Amino acid sequence: MPEDLAGSAASFETETDKPALKPQAPVIEPGEPTDLELMEGIQNEDPDALSKLYDRYNGILKALILRVIHNESEADDLLQEIFMEIWNQSKNFSAHKGKPLGWMVTLARRRAIDGLRKKQAYARAEERLQSETEQQPDAWVHNSTEQEINFGDTRVLVRNVINCLPPAQREAIELAFFRGMSQREIAANTNTPLGTVKTRLELGLKKIYDGLKELQHEL
Amino acid sequence: MTGSKNFSMSFEEFQNRSRLYVIGALEPDELDEFEKARKEFGQKGEDFISECYGLHEAFALSLRPAKASSSIKEKLMTMVRQKQQRA
Repeated sequence: MPEDLAGSAASFETETDKPALKPQAPVIEPGEPTDLELMEGIQNEDPDALSKLYDRYNGILKALILRVIHNESEADDLLQEIFMEIWNQSKNFSAHKGKPLGWMVTLARRRAIDGLRKKQAYARAEERLQSETEQQPDAWVHNSTEQEINFGDTRVLVRNVINCLPPAQREAIELAFFRGMSQREIAANTNTPLGTVKTRLELGLKKIYDGLKELQHEL
Repeated sequence: MTGSKNFSMSFEEFQNRSRLYVIGALEPDELDEFEKARKEFGQKGEDFISECYGLHEAFALSLRPAKASSSIKEKLMTMVRQKQQRA
C-alpha cells in the first residue's frame, strides 16, 4: 500500500469497546416536526423548516464533507451551498424513494467529491489525510455537541457494523465512498488487482447492508 | 455478457452491482450491463436500488458530527430570504 494511504483503512472511526445498543433515529423532542415534515415545509418554501433541518443535520453533513475535502473553511462554504441546494432542489425529493437524510447525504457527498475533483486536490488531500490520521485535528476530537449526543448511539451501532469488516474491505469502501475513487483508481492506489478490489467492495458492502438490515429488524 | 442477445443477470448479481452503483464504484462497462439489468428487473430493481441508498445514510452516521462555523447558518438564511424576496 502506498504510504500516503497508510491508515486510511481505519478512517471509519473505531470504537469497538462500546456495548451494543439498539439503533435509534436522531432524538426528536415531542412536538418537534419529523424530517419528512421539515422537507415538506421546505418544499412549501418555509425558511423555518430549513432552519430546523440545518440545526438537526449540519454536524453530520459537515463531517461528511470534511471527510472528503479535509479543509475546515472549504467544508463550511460547501455546507452552506449544500443547504442552499437542499432549499432549491427540495421539489426533487420524494419520500417514496427514501428518507430525507439519505437524500441530503447523497447530495452532499456528490457536491463534496465534485468540489474535490474541480480543485484537482487529490494529492493535497492525501497528504492532509495522512496528517489528519496522525494528528487527530480538532474537527475529529472536539467536545461533544448536542448533535453528537443525539446521534451517538446510532453512530456506535453503525460503526460496529463497519468495524466488523476486514481492513482491506473497509479501505476499499472508504476510498470509493469518501474519496469518489473508481475500482481502477483504488486498484492503482493500493497496488491491488482490479478483481480483488471488486470482490472487496462487493463483499464489504453486502456485509454492511446485511448488518444494517439486522439492526433495523431489532427495532 | 456485454452485447449478448441473451443478456441476463441474476438478481443476486444485480444486488451486488446496485450496492456498487449507489456509491459510484461501477466501472463504465459494468454500468452498461447494470442499466440493461435495471430495465429487466423493473420496479423490483428500482426498489432495491432505493434501499441501497440507505448505505449513504449509514456511512454519514458513522462519522462524528463536526461543528460548523456559527456564521454559516446566518448567511444561509439571509440568502434564502433574499431569494424569496426576489421571487
